[in-house]
This record gives sequence, C-alpha cells and structure tokens, in this order.
Amino acid sequence: MSNTRPSAPAGPGDFPAWQRIMADVAEGRINPSEAVRRLVLVRGGGARSAMPTTPPEGYFGPRPALSAVPAAEAADAAELRRRHLEEARRELATMPGLRSVKETVEELLAWVQVQRWRMRENLSSEPPVLHMVFRGNPGTGKTTVARLIGRMLRDMGVLSKGHLVEVERADLVGEYIGHTAQKTREQIKQALGGILFVDEAYSLARGGERDFGKEAIDVLVRAMENHRDNLAVIFAGYPAEMDRFLRANPGLVSRLPIQIDFPDYATDELLQIADLMCQQRQYRLTEEGRARLREFLETERRAVNFGNARTVRNILEAAIRQQALRLVGRNLPVDRDRLMQIEAQDVSAAVKRLFGEGKAPAAGRESEAGESPAAAGRDAAMQRLAQALGLLAGPWTGENAI
Amino acid sequence: MAVQQGVVIGKTNVGKTLFTINFASYCGVQEMHISFREPDGRRSSRVLQREDAAAELAGPEPHKTRRLQSISLELPVGKGTRHLELVDTSGLTDYVHRDVEVRRAIAQSLAMIRDAALILHMVDAALVGESGPVAGLGEVDYQVAQFAQMRRGYAILANKMDLPAAARGLELVRSEFAGHVILPVSALHWLGFREVKQFVAHAL
Repeated sequence: MSNTRPSAPAGPGDFPAWQRIMADVAEGRINPSEAVRRLVLVRGGGARSAMPTTPPEGYFGPRPALSAVPAAEAADAAELRRRHLEEARRELATMPGLRSVKETVEELLAWVQVQRWRMRENLSSEPPVLHMVFRGNPGTGKTTVARLIGRMLRDMGVLSKGHLVEVERADLVGEYIGHTAQKTREQIKQALGGILFVDEAYSLARGGERDFGKEAIDVLVRAMENHRDNLAVIFAGYPAEMDRFLRANPGLVSRLPIQIDFPDYATDELLQIADLMCQQRQYRLTEEGRARLREFLETERRAVNFGNARTVRNILEAAIRQQALRLVGRNLPVDRDRLMQIEAQDVSAAVKRLFGEGKAPAAGRESEAGESPAAAGRDAAMQRLAQALGLLAGPWTGENAI
Repeated sequence: MAVQQGVVIGKTNVGKTLFTINFASYCGVQEMHISFREPDGRRSSRVLQREDAAAELAGPEPHKTRRLQSISLELPVGKGTRHLELVDTSGLTDYVHRDVEVRRAIAQSLAMIRDAALILHMVDAALVGESGPVAGLGEVDYQVAQFAQMRRGYAILANKMDLPAAARGLELVRSEFAGHVILPVSALHWLGFREVKQFVAHAL
C-alpha cells in the first residue's frame, strides 16, 4: 500500500455509494451499524461533502442542498488517522525478525485499502473477512502483532474500536449446559468492533465430542459469520496443536482466510529484543553481559518449551533485580553508568534464579564464584533493599520473583 | 443567511424527540412550527405548543418517531444570529428491524448525517450506568462516533442525567468515547442545555 496515494476526495462522487447503502438499510440487507461503518469507508470517516448534492430518489425524502463546507476538518481527520496508522506500522516494522509476518500484515492492509477504494468508486468489492490463525510458539509476538493489527484496522476505518480481548478456554467454556454459549457470547460482545484473540485455541477441542468446548467453537463460528464486518477472531497457539485443531474442525478452516506463522526467533533477533527492552527501561547490557545472554540463548532456544521473547524479558527483569542487589550489596557510591549497566554476573544470577543452577552459563558460574563479596553479601543486601523499599516480603525477596 | 442543519441521532428511546422539543423551547421557540418529512418524501407541518408536542411526539415506546421532525431555531452568536434547523430522527438499532417502515425511517435518519453541519449524538447515560457500556451502548453508537470523529460540529449528549445511575454512566461514556465532546444533559429537566447551546453556537 502506498503511503503517498491521496485518498479519493469527498464529494458528489460518493453519492451513489451512499444511496446504495441507504437502500440496503431500507431493504433490510444490512443493519444500521453496518451502514454507518460503510459510510465511514465511503467517506473516509467524517469528511463532509465539499459541494451540494442532488436529492436522493427512493426511500427517504429530499435533502436540501448545503452551502460549501471547508475541507479542513476532513483533512485533519484523515491526517490524524494516517499518523496513527503510520505509528502502528512503524511499531511493527521495528519488531525484530518476523519478516514473513510483516509481509502478510502489509498484504492484508493493502487488500483492505483496495477494497475500500473500490467501494468508493462504486465497483464490486468484497467485505473484508478478517478472521485469522496465528501459529507460533510462546513469546513469538502473536499477541503484540494482533494488538497492532487491531489498531491499524481501526485507523483504516475497518474496525470501529480496534481493541483486543484476549481469552482462553476458561473464559469461553462453562460448567453446565447453556453456560458455555452465554460465556462465549459475552466475550464476543466485549470484542465487537475489535479483535477476539483466542489463545491456545486448540484447548477448545481437547475434551472430545461431549466437551463444552465444541459448543464454544460453534458459537464463535456463528459470530464470525454474523459480525464478520466488525469483528476479527484470531485463533492462536502452538503450530502442531493448531494444525491438529484445524484439521478436526474443517468448518472453521474455511472461515479463516488468513493464516500467519510466527517462527521462533534466531539468537541474534533475541539479542536485538534484549537490547530494545533494555533501552526502553534505560538499561544497557555490557558486552560481557550480552555474551553471557547469547551463550544461554544458544543452548536454551532449542528446548521444547522455550519462551522466545518472553524468556528474554523474564531474564532481563530478573537481571535488573540482580543488578540492584549487586549495587546495594557493594555499599559503594554508584554513578549513572553503573545504574544503567547489566553485567554478565547479573545475567548469570538471573538465569540461575529462573532456571536453576544447571542452566546458568558456565562462565557465569565461575565468574560469580570469583566475585564472592557480592555473593556473600547478598542476604544482607536483600535485607537493606527490603528496608529501603519498606518491604519485608514481596516480589523482590520471594521465590515468585517473576 | 443559509440555514444549517443539526441532526439529533442515536439509538431508540434515548430521548431524542423530547430533547429536540425542550431544547427548541430553551432557545426561545414559543410555538413549535414542526416540519415533518416522511421517508417517501412527503412533507407536512404543524404548529404545536411545547407541552402538546412533547405529549404527542415523544413517548416511551420504541420507534415512535418514524420520520424526520425539524424545528427552526435562531441562536444569538456574537452580534448576529445563526439559523439552525434542528432535525429529530428515528432511533437506530444494531439489528435489521423487521418492520419495513422503521427501516426506511432509519435509512432516512442515516442519510441526514452525511451533510449535517451539526451532529448531536444522544446516548442513554442511565442505561449505560445500569447495564455497562456493552449493553447500554450499541455498536451503532461506536460507528457513529467513528464516522463523525474530528468533526467540529459533533458532540455526544449523555442524556437522562437526572437518573441515579447516570453519573456512573457518564464516566463510562467518557471512557468509551475519549477524545470526543461529551455533554451531560437531561432532556426532561432541561439540564445541560446552556452548554449544548454554547456548543451549537460555537460549531455553526
């Protein structure tokens, strides 16, 4: 989709489309909310006609011609939406890796835009069906991308709100007959105008024929048909499980035209993510710290349940806490640099705390042993830190630090 | 001077007709010269006193208004006056209504928002307060807000502020439609009319 292509001007040219939409309402082919949604597409959301229009024929009375209206408001609205859209696209572009995901999202946006232009030109156009499957391991960016797609579709005038409602089996499946349909419908209602993100969707089918999960799927399928113009349902989960789930529900597959695979991140991409996360928190990894993290990721990313970006985030958050302990434990003056630096020993200690002794990189274990004063003073430092924070127990001192 | 149109739009039973009549009265209209436009294009007009207009045209039953009903107003702006045709419309729904007359009236209402200089979008704040935004607002409310976003002449009127649940409803409406002009009113008790009048005068 080109950023520079001007949107079609509002004016008498959109009149046939308006007339057709109003006729669709009167004939009962579409409901009023769908009609207004289409008006947003036709008019670019709030642009007023720059010229008088001829009165319509048909179901409604003649409309008086209006005087000319400044186009500035329309330009402002379009500009604001364009800026928001660009911001969301930039956010997607700056996410490390995910090349194929980004390409698919761009394709989707381009297609939606073209349908919109076709509608404006009174050409036959397909209403965008936006239901999707996201296949990928944990921490590969599925939820983040879903959130961005919601924002983009809102800024393009396709979804009215563009918010994301994230649900899992427990939010949809009830405990007695009728409960599931009610719970699922409630979640659908909350998500109208945005995205319903069904995480670990395959778990809806895990109980077999007599399980209420099947009922949830049926309600979701109906909603996907009835609200397809203003609701995007995304089924997400591990690749193998999602494939099995879709094979077992052929009715669902035909309604999911967009399927996006989220590959695991390469080690370099995970390190980029780590750098970004540090930057956002005003920390930075020292070279040794980065090397230590690389060493751990190289080994660990091959594990079955590796959490990709989520694991990196957990390690960094733990490393930040370990850095705090180290600085407080030394009882030395700290400068800006020290406050920002995450060192190798912080990474090692974080990994050890999160994954156990065996997982800590060897160099880290040695290094940590070599820095015995900090290690030895850990308990005392923790006490001082707790006192400083006014806490005797809490996430900083407990086992549930993550 | 050209007469500009202001349209009062919203879901059914939010109080559009009562607001139109009482607000016209607040703006100094003594006798209501009401013009009616049927969906098939027929026109008629009547002169009614405010009380009679309210009793005859407004009511609790849904879709009582099935045509456009407009009243001309003169608003003092600066040293001059602005002329506004305030148009009351048929209530919108989120579903396809089974009655073809209602559907035609809704189409007629929607056609008005295309060129109106002013869109007063009314929601029932008390219902939102009681039932929450999911049940109290309709999808059509979000769509209208989306359609009219950034228009200078667009405001959401949170009506029924005289009812106990409305204060909570107003908070929810503000959070759901952050960034829009939201004016709390009570069409029944004429509350908030001064702010609406100021907004209208500013927008025209």
